[in-house]
Amino acid sequence: MWYWSLKSLFAEPLRLISGSLGVACAFLLVMVFQAVFEGESRQIVAYIQNTDADVWVMQDGVENMHMASSLLWNWKAPRIARIAGVTEVASILYMNTVMSAGGKRWFSYIVGVDENAFTGGAWEMTAGEAWPQQGEAIVPDVVAILSGLSIGDTVQVLDAELRIVGLSRGTFSMANSVTFINKKDLSRLMDAGEAVSYILVKGSDGISAQDLAARIKTGVDKVSALPKQQFIHRDREMALQMGSEIIRIMITIGTLLAVLIAGFTVYYQVIHKQRELALAKALGFRHRHIYAGVFLQAAAINALGYGLAVAGAYTLMPMIPLVAPQISLYVSVESLVRLGVIGILVTTLVVFVLARNVTRVDPVTVFQR
Amino acid sequence: MSEPILRAIGLSKQFGTAAALVRAVDDVSLEAAPGELVLIMGPSGSGKTTLLSMLGALMKPDAGRIFIEDVEVSALREGQLPRLRANKIGFVFQSFNLLAALTVEENVLFPARLVAGGVKAAGARAEQLLERLELTGRRRALPRTLSGGEKQRVAIARALVNRPTIIFADEPTGNLDSRMGQEVMMILRSVARDQGCTVVMVTHDSRSEEAADRILWLEDGKLRDRKTDTHVWRRDPVCGMRVDEWTAVEKSRYRGRDYVFCSHECLSRFEASPAAYVLATGQE
Ligand SMILES: Nc1ncnc2c1ncn2[C@@H]1O[C@H](COP(=O)(O)OP(=O)(O)OP(=O)(O)O)[C@@H](O)[C@H]1O
Ligand SMILES: [Mg+2]
Repeated sequence: MWYWSLKSLFAEPLRLISGSLGVACAFLLVMVFQAVFEGESRQIVAYIQNTDADVWVMQDGVENMHMASSLLWNWKAPRIARIAGVTEVASILYMNTVMSAGGKRWFSYIVGVDENAFTGGAWEMTAGEAWPQQGEAIVPDVVAILSGLSIGDTVQVLDAELRIVGLSRGTFSMANSVTFINKKDLSRLMDAGEAVSYILVKGSDGISAQDLAARIKTGVDKVSALPKQQFIHRDREMALQMGSEIIRIMITIGTLLAVLIAGFTVYYQVIHKQRELALAKALGFRHRHIYAGVFLQAAAINALGYGLAVAGAYTLMPMIPLVAPQISLYVSVESLVRLGVIGILVTTLVVFVLARNVTRVDPVTVFQR
Repeated sequence: MSEPILRAIGLSKQFGTAAALVRAVDDVSLEAAPGELVLIMGPSGSGKTTLLSMLGALMKPDAGRIFIEDVEVSALREGQLPRLRANKIGFVFQSFNLLAALTVEENVLFPARLVAGGVKAAGARAEQLLERLELTGRRRALPRTLSGGEKQRVAIARALVNRPTIIFADEPTGNLDSRMGQEVMMILRSVARDQGCTVVMVTHDSRSEEAADRILWLEDGKLRDRKTDTHVWRRDPVCGMRVDEWTAVEKSRYRGRDYVFCSHECLSRFEASPAAYVLATGQE
């Protein structure tokens, strides 16, 4: 039966290809959605991820960066520096706001950095300076491209006009781009006085981030201290709360579409071959033989569709950022595998749904002319 | 007569209910001996196909019992039937029912995987059948490239590959022109005579009568004695064959006259250009 099944499928390449392409399109749609979702959810925490701090210290009660504000007394930084196991300390000022660049408005993290800090600034540059002096700003290269600006142009942050001196890479996200300015500028703009927002702490090799955070919490009054990974986790959760629903719905729709197309293709194949299935029954093939045949066809169409979708994803996805630089894509093997598993489930489901049709094929129909 | 291969007792089957009730087969009993070629004839709608479906264990009778060799087929559970069909029964159909994607050889071997030994063991047998049915040269051909006669020979080879004890054929010559029809009849004749395989065959084709050991006449679902005066011999205007007007299914009307045909093939030819045949056979 398996032989019949595959030969019948390949005997009509047009039908096979159109069915597989349909499945591939649906899978590809899901893959793109997933890649956008993954890409964006990585990009949202890119700043924390790329900042070389083991522990983030912030105002007591604050546990996020996204949509949060934190203010701490500046003197807490040297106090933390004296705690055993701490090797480096830097502090940043930070606020969420809208930045104007090239007539467009960008929702942005504004990070105020010290020139001599060990970390906290841009981690990779496309062009120009990485550390802003007063009156200067480092903006994401994607913002510069999309708003038609380059080094030497100005952007507006709150009521300050700042000159672009550097373009940073990997700092753009649809939800939060990161713009770096000098800490003194931001302090003035926020009227923050002697306060800072986050203190970035690096520990010695022998101590875990967990222990270091605990030491800081007990050693310094009224602070919250989180190991980097935990901080990333919380922030991603917070940031994705809003957008994720929509993307989940889209992924679900795409998956349903894949199910429908795969199901329809196989259904059509079965209806089309009903007479041959009836003959197989009349010759003495059992239901399980026939299921196996139909299952194999469904699996083949799905596998082919999946393969095409993966191939499509790997050719198409590198092109998307060229057309739309604001979209960050990330294809994880995990999400591909998940989709593959869904494909297998779909196949099984389709055959299950078809089961009635297959078993109802009446062998007597072979007598019809 | 030796011990019968096939025995049916009091078979009945009806379709529909109340006003629309059709007694397709009504209390039919019959037997067939090893190597016998039995024809079932009768007018269209008389229940021939229904009877054959029940005998071949493709349809459950409403009443009655069927034995093939000593197995009571009508008492088997649904799950036991496939094994019986694969091992004991061969089918030949009017519409051939070949598997479109498989080659001639693959079609012949298709049921072989259902029996002990599988395709490997059946290889030599298939080879032999292909040779005897003159299909050796076409073994790699796909069904759509075959003529009607070749298709039916493939179907017969497929029916024979598992060495069944009985073959059921429903109008195996119905889609063939008279020459190919005759050829197929001769093959089935030799299957019965030379191999001892019982053949039960439904047909409209009166020319098959010569090859048959026995003819059963079905009318309104009942077996009856066939009255000889029901023969009304007419001539097929296309091939010139003698056709019994009573049982003929292929009929056409042209310029107020009725014509009968031995096969659908002849009818199609006639309908394409009736004038040619009416003149050619000297009829006005
Ligand atoms: N599945 C069915 N449902 C309802 N009625 C049926 C069914 N199958 C057959 N019949 C009816 O039963 C009767 C016998 O049908 P059957 O097909 O057995 O006749 P037949 O002798 O084979 O006819 P033909 O020579 O035209 O092939 C007909 O009246 C037909 O309409
Ligand atoms: Mg019939």
